[in-house]
Amino acid sequence: MVVPVPDVVSPVVVSLYIPAIFTGLLVGLIGLLGIAFQKRDIHVLILTDIVGLGMLIIVAAVGTDLAEALILPGLVVELAEILAISELLMSREMRKMDKKVDLIPVPLNLNMEIFETAPVFFAVILVAYGAFLSGFTGGAVAGAGILFYLISKIYRGVPSDIWEGISATAVVVWCLWLIGFLLFFAAPDYWLLGLFLAAFGLFIEVAYKAGLIGVIGREEFKRGKE
Amino acid sequence: MDLTTLGGQLLGIIPLGDIVLYVTTFNLFMSVAALVFTVLIAMSRTEKQVEAQFGTLNDREKKVSKDEFKIRRFLSIICGIATAGAMITGDLFNFTLFVTLIGIVNIGIVSAVKEVDVLDSAFQYGIIAMLATLPLFGGAALILGTTGTLSMLEIVNIPTTAMMLFGSILLFIGVAGESGVAPFFATKAEMFRTAGSPFLVIIHLSSLLVIVRAIEILLIINKPF
Repeated sequence: MVVPVPDVVSPVVVSLYIPAIFTGLLVGLIGLLGIAFQKRDIHVLILTDIVGLGMLIIVAAVGTDLAEALILPGLVVELAEILAISELLMSREMRKMDKKVDLIPVPLNLNMEIFETAPVFFAVILVAYGAFLSGFTGGAVAGAGILFYLISKIYRGVPSDIWEGISATAVVVWCLWLIGFLLFFAAPDYWLLGLFLAAFGLFIEVAYKAGLIGVIGREEFKRGKE
Repeated sequence: MDLTTLGGQLLGIIPLGDIVLYVTTFNLFMSVAALVFTVLIAMSRTEKQVEAQFGTLNDREKKVSKDEFKIRRFLSIICGIATAGAMITGDLFNFTLFVTLIGIVNIGIVSAVKEVDVLDSAFQYGIIAMLATLPLFGGAALILGTTGTLSMLEIVNIPTTAMMLFGSILLFIGVAGESGVAPFFATKAEMFRTAGSPFLVIIHLSSLLVIVRAIEILLIINKPF
């Protein structure tokens, strides 16, 4: 039994299926060729991402709702693997060289005047604007503000309690988002309350993810010193 | 060929909306075995490796620090649960996701060790596991594109076409790369040379169980007899 394609789908889209699959396989082969030529580990790691793109092309070629739902986990898996392997590469190189690593490694010397005078002003404006936007976007804006403030504080040193407190608050506030989401289903009459719980829970949660980055960075820092 | 020929008695179906789980004696046993092993691992402590040193009478002990022990135990439990999930799932794409989760967690279990050799090996394994996502998800997507479904309860009733055969071969290459068996085992071999044995055993167990389950899935898709 071959599943028929509905008539509403134009024949052009249907005819794209086979070329798209071959494109995906070709992209994968090109990535593999590149890996075969490269000798340095970091280049190999970057090139494996191309093979991952080939995977996304093949999944996207199916072009149904279900395929769309499958691309997201595919992408997440891809990202998780590349993060895990790059952490592995970093810790291996750190162990080889026996070097210290900064709290948040930055490639430049960021000892600029703007970091001493402006951070509070910028952070307040960004956080206020983020609170006005609310939701995911607002969280990202406010998070940028907090991250900016923290980066400027690195030179004076940030107490570890602050990092841990921020990351713990982020998790507690995440529950607000969940409660708001549940309210939509459990008590649809209170949808406004649910909406605001979800919007501001997500806002604070995403904003405080900056703290989470800090905690992870600090643990990496500790491990590097051992 | 139907599900009962492969897995023994069909004990029941758990319909969760789109995703329909089916429980046969075969995959129920494998799933419970993985869970029992996970519980055993969660309760156990790590070994201490003692190596005799060459030229002297001293021994060298390799210990696992408490932080590292906790992280490894957590990741091993996740790996065990993912294995149990891969055993019992009735959805092709969920199976591929569980398999990739096992791959990521396997890297995580050995990522905190201090031996550079082991880290090297884990890096190679990680690269292979990442490359294997192309055939793995690609194969599942090809089968979805050909049959229009990912549920194995449906696929078992659909006659095999050449495209499904191609997709299932890709799927198998993906599973082999992701769990590090036959052609790719060289990348994984060094990973077991670190201390902390019970947690490293789950790496082995998960790949063995996943391969058995993958063969069952290939038989369901291709129906060779």
